[in-house]
Amino acid sequence: MGKIIGIDLGTTNSCVAILESGKPKVIPTTEGRNLIPSVVEPVKGLVGDLAKRQMVLNPKNTVYSIKRLMGRRFDDAEVKKTIKMVPYKVVKGKDGMACVEVDGKIYTPQEISAKILQKAKADAEAFLGEKVTEAVITVPAYFDDSQRQATKQAGEIAGLEVKRIINEPTAASLAYGLDKKKNEKIAVYDLGGGTFDISVLEIGEGVFEVKATNGDTFLGGDDFDQKIVECLLE
Amino acid sequence: MKKRDDKKNQDKTAGKKVGSEKQSLQREIDSLQSQLRCALADYRNIEARIEKEVSLFKKDTVRSLIDKLLAVLDNLERAESHIDNKGLKMAVGQFKDVLASEGIMPIKSDGEVFDPIKMDCMQITQGPKDIVVETVTKGYEYCGEVIRPAKVRVGQGNE
Repeated sequence: MGKIIGIDLGTTNSCVAILESGKPKVIPTTEGRNLIPSVVEPVKGLVGDLAKRQMVLNPKNTVYSIKRLMGRRFDDAEVKKTIKMVPYKVVKGKDGMACVEVDGKIYTPQEISAKILQKAKADAEAFLGEKVTEAVITVPAYFDDSQRQATKQAGEIAGLEVKRIINEPTAASLAYGLDKKKNEKIAVYDLGGGTFDISVLEIGEGVFEVKATNGDTFLGGDDFDQKIVECLLE
Repeated sequence: MKKRDDKKNQDKTAGKKVGSEKQSLQREIDSLQSQLRCALADYRNIEARIEKEVSLFKKDTVRSLIDKLLAVLDNLERAESHIDNKGLKMAVGQFKDVLASEGIMPIKSDGEVFDPIKMDCMQITQGPKDIVVETVTKGYEYCGEVIRPAKVRVGQGNE
């Protein structure tokens, strides 16, 4: 039986890990880094660091922050806000869902995300020296059914059997061994590359319940970088 | 007669007991053999994994050290471009020779076609399309693998 990989499919960066002797081990990419930029150039077939390195040169064909469109309708407020900030074309796809159009071809967010997951799978197989077919993928606690289903579909397109879709703050709490706590409330702050999320969880007898979520879906490390660039340019 | 029957029954019972013990021992042997095979397979897997991890550890450690040293070289080269000093030139030259002797080579980027495997495009600028017009920070390869991609400015096609 092969190892199950755990994938954090992030807005700006993704990460893949396995459990070895009960301890998590982050799998390095073939580029030697611990993170995979969530960037895809579907025409040239580039994913991760290679796609990111050429995005300035090829902005219309380089898709990033695809997580913002996962499982969302084209008319969603979050999609409208995303359209204003990205150089690639966002279009209305089947059933009114948000899709991207690159070089005349339409891709669903699941298909774009699947390319990131395929890279995570390939890097894991290269590291482990064995086939990987099963994965657990994390999603934000506020993701609805449509968004969770889209994430699962992305995994299936990538050739992975998605054993579980779990909440990101729950995964973080488990990593810190907080599942041993009894009847406690925990606040999890997640400041990522593109989003800032806070989740309040209640833990009782190993069961995690999401009590509340909030945050800013357009605030993250990338915005801090931008402010520094603007300051230096001044 | 009765004695003979009793003896026959005793022999039958003893025989059944021996047969049952034999079966139990055989099951135990089969189980132990199976555990041994699994343990040997695990041992071989662990051996292979340790060998691979030691090799990966060496590679990661070397790569991490090279990355830090290259940052120092970048600053020395910047200083060299501003200060005309023979001693500094010799020191920078020696640093580069040591790197080259260990298989750490600069990536040729100026005038080359942009390649995302070896280069990172920082900016597009005036110049032939998709050709590197300027290298902002040199990239380096180690044993054929890119340690650090070159940071470059690429032409956008306006001559």
